[in-house]
This record gives sequence, structure tokens and C-alpha cells, in this order.
Amino acid sequence: MAPFELVAPATPDEAIAELGALGASDAVPLAGGTDLLFDLDDGRLAPRRVVSLRRLPWQTLDWNGPILTVGSTLPLRRLETDPEVRTRLPGLYTAVRAVGSVALRHQATLGGNLGRSAPASDLVPMLLALDAEIDLVGPQGARTVPVDQFVIGSRRTALRPAELIRSVRFPEPRPSAYLWQRVRPFRDISQMAVAVAYSPARARWRVAVAGFPPRPLLVPEVEDALGPVLPPARSDLDRGAHVLSTRAPIVGDKRASEAYRRQIVRPLLERAVRRASGEKAGS
Amino acid sequence: MSGGRLRLSVNGRPTELADVPPEERLLDTVRWRLGLKGTKEGCRTGECGACTVLRDGHAVLSCLLLARDADGAAITTIEGVRSDPVGERVRAAFESAGALQCGYCTPGFVMALTGLLREAGRSTPLDELLEDLGGNLCRCTGYSTIVRAARAAREGLP
Ligand SMILES: Cc1cc2nc3c(=O)[nH]c(=O)nc-3n(C[C@H](O)[C@H](O)[C@H](O)COP(=O)(O)OP(=O)(O)OC[C@H]3O[C@@H](n4cnc5c(N)ncnc54)[C@H](O)[C@@H]3O)c2cc1C
Ligand code: FES
Ligand code: FES
Repeated sequence: MAPFELVAPATPDEAIAELGALGASDAVPLAGGTDLLFDLDDGRLAPRRVVSLRRLPWQTLDWNGPILTVGSTLPLRRLETDPEVRTRLPGLYTAVRAVGSVALRHQATLGGNLGRSAPASDLVPMLLALDAEIDLVGPQGARTVPVDQFVIGSRRTALRPAELIRSVRFPEPRPSAYLWQRVRPFRDISQMAVAVAYSPARARWRVAVAGFPPRPLLVPEVEDALGPVLPPARSDLDRGAHVLSTRAPIVGDKRASEAYRRQIVRPLLERAVRRASGEKAGS
Repeated sequence: MSGGRLRLSVNGRPTELADVPPEERLLDTVRWRLGLKGTKEGCRTGECGACTVLRDGHAVLSCLLLARDADGAAITTIEGVRSDPVGERVRAAFESAGALQCGYCTPGFVMALTGLLREAGRSTPLDELLEDLGGNLCRCTGYSTIVRAARAAREGLP
């Protein structure tokens, strides 16, 4: 690991200034470190300055009517233990619990998961299905980007130099579910994952898949097929599963073949939609 | 971080360390600078839980924590677990269940379970508690006694 200096500014403005004073590859933000430390160890990143976000006032969780705003540096464990998250955004609760272990989640953050933007992230697909919006703040001020536009590819996001993720906003409670296929059910990387949510406001299902490159994706054709109601008609669910399995841009990589993924995604979608509709999986 | 000094409370004792390099992990600080060898290094990649300590009362993985990013925190290691009532309960439960073979994973399990029971007492259903302990691996595979210890430690908590 190349030597670096570690700074821990107390305000967002100072953090942005610390980052902006050096080039993007010379200064990087640190949240939980559960991804960043690996990139520092193997030399993928060799910054001169690491800017810890731990003192920023962003370890927050606020419900404002139907809207949930989660500060980017809130440890994931605190998101999972909020009783309203569990009941109002059940898919988010499940997806958070799919990440590593409890101790890892006391360190890891939503901001870090988005910053890493891994193709097999367990949180990005759920954020897509929930139409999360990402609040950013940087040298040019604040802006908000839908998660679908924020995530570009592995380690590639819409972040501009010295810009930080401040918070993530969820516009409404949604019946939702998250299911994944892994070699081992917990503490492993998902080979294939499906996030579904039903938007009452838009009378529409949202369906995202993840686990393969280049990034987690929404699949609007499947959403169309599922129709406007909760639960969907049996024939619509069949059609949605067929469309997802045959037409989604699923590819193979070292962790699973394309054929395997196309096969496994069908029952994952069916079970996820049933679970979001309040039925037990497999019923 | 003024003058490169790192201030921690370790097992209740204020501790000040000079010249801790920014890349040093809390695991190494605890084991090699403070000589508290109860905290173990298993994988160094966040997967085994052997390095679990409490930071401000919550279980964290000391192999994935920059020591200097823990500046100002209260750290509890296995050496200090008895001063926490829940920790002492957990330790005693491991002892009476005989929940160890080589003992390498034991400090991590004790700290992880202490953190979980401190957070939620008995309100977490047993199956969820055991699922939450899944971040700790026992290479001797002595899980049945560990489960027994976890169940016993949870009993009688508010
Ligand atoms: C053992 C283990 C198991 C894991 N299991 C899973 C899993 O099951 N599912 C999963 O999805 N992930 C998993 N991960 C990956 C990782 O834990 C998550 O991606 C986590 O959410 C990262 O958060 P962090 O706060 O630790 O990020 P960091 O490591 O602190 O940061 C990650 C990246 O984001 C940038 N960043 C951080 N915060 C911000 C911000 N506020 N604004 C802008 N950029 C920022 C950093 O510069 C860095 O590039 C695992 C990791 C380990 C070590
Ligand atoms: S040594 Fe830290 S988790 Fe294995
Ligand atoms: S007792 Fe040997 S690793 Fe668990």
C-alpha cells in the first residue's frame, strides 16, 4: 500500500475542499472502508490523501411522511434495524441483510456501496426497483440524480471530481422483495439477484436484476408484462418471467454461465413477486 | 488528526498512541502495539469474524478498520469483555457450554454475540440471532456448542 495521509474533516464543505485540492485519483473519500481498503491494498488506487467521512453529519435516517432519506454514511446495520424500514420497504430490509455480516454492516454504508457500484451489489438493484434518488454535493453545489443515471458500471458512477454522495431518498413505501442465488446463501457474492417493488402511486411493478456485468439493470419489458396490479394475474407473472429469462441482457462471467442465469432468474422473479404480494415464497 | 496522535479508550482505559501510520489496521494496533493478543487474525478480508471487537459498543471487524479512523472511539476487546455485564454473561455461557475446541474463533464469537445481545437483548428471535452470528466462522466446526452457548446467554436477558 502506498503511503497516504488520512484527514477527517468535520463539515461537508471542508471534505469537498480536501478532495478538490488534489486530482480525483490523488484524493479519495473513505466511508466504512470495506471496499476501499481492498483497492488500496492491491494498488488499484494509490491516492496521496484519504478523506474520512466519519465526522460528517450524514449518519442520519429520516422519515418525512412517505419519504425516507438515508444519510450516505449511516452504517447499514442502522438502516436494517429501523422498524419502519422493515415494514414499509421490506425489500430494502432484505437486501441490506444480504450484505456481509452484522459486524461488516456496522461499518459498511449505502454511500460506499453506491460509490463502489459493483455489478453484484445487493443494494443497487433494490434502489433501482424503489426509484431511489441520490443527493450529491460538490464544488458546484448540490444536485439530485436518479440511481439509474448514477450507476454506470463497475467503479463507474456519475460522481464528478470532489463530489460526494450526501443521501439517498426513497419516494414512497413499496411492497417489495429481494431474492438472490449464490453458491452459499449468506456471505457470498450473488450470481444472480432480482429486486421487485410495486409502486402504488404509479400502478406499476419495478423489476431490476443484478449479479453480472456491466451493472444492475431495470427491465422495463418485464414491468410491462407484469401489468398494473398487485398481485399480478397468474398469466402476467408467467409472461414476465418468460420475458425476463429470454430477453433481458443477461450475460455469463466467471461466477455463472449465461444459460444458468437465464434459468435461475425465472423462479427468482416468480418468488420475489409473490413475496412482495404478501404470499409466502414458493406458494 | 492533530500531530498524528491516536486517542482511543481501550477496555475502559484512555490510550494515546503516537506515530500510528494511516494505513495501520486496528487489528494490528490492538495486537502488536497494545499487546492484546486475544483478538485474532483469521482472514484479514472481513470474512471470518476472528478479529471482531466492539467500537462504541457495536461489533466491527478490526481487520477492515484503519486504526486512525477509529480516533476517539471506545474499543472493547476480549480482554475487557468481563467489565460489560452482557459480555460477562456471554463469556460464562461459552465456558459452561464448552463452546471451544482450539479456541481461535472464540474471542470473535464472544465479541460478536456480546454486540448482538447488547443491541437487542432477547427481542431478536433465536433463529435471527443465530443467522446474525453467521459472520463468524469456526474452523474446528464446533457450532453446536456455540449455538448452545448463544441460546443460554440470550435466556434471562430483558
Ligand atoms: C467480507 C465482505 C462481504 C461483502 N459482502 C457484500 C454483499 O453481500 N453485497 C454487497 O453489495 N457488498 C458486499 N461487500 C462490499 C461492501 O461491503 C459494500 O459495498 C459496502 O456497502 C461498501 O460500503 P463502505 O462504506 O465500506 O465503502 P468504502 O469502502 O468506504 O467506499 C467504497 C467506495 O465508495 C466511495 N465512497 C464511499 N462513500 C462515499 C460518499 N459518501 N460519496 C462518494 N463516494 C463515496 C469510496 O471512495 C470508495 O471508492 C462485502 C465486502 C466484504 C469485505
Ligand atoms: S480477520 Fe477480520 S474478518 Fe477475518
Ligand atoms: S474452536 Fe477452533 S476455530 Fe473455532
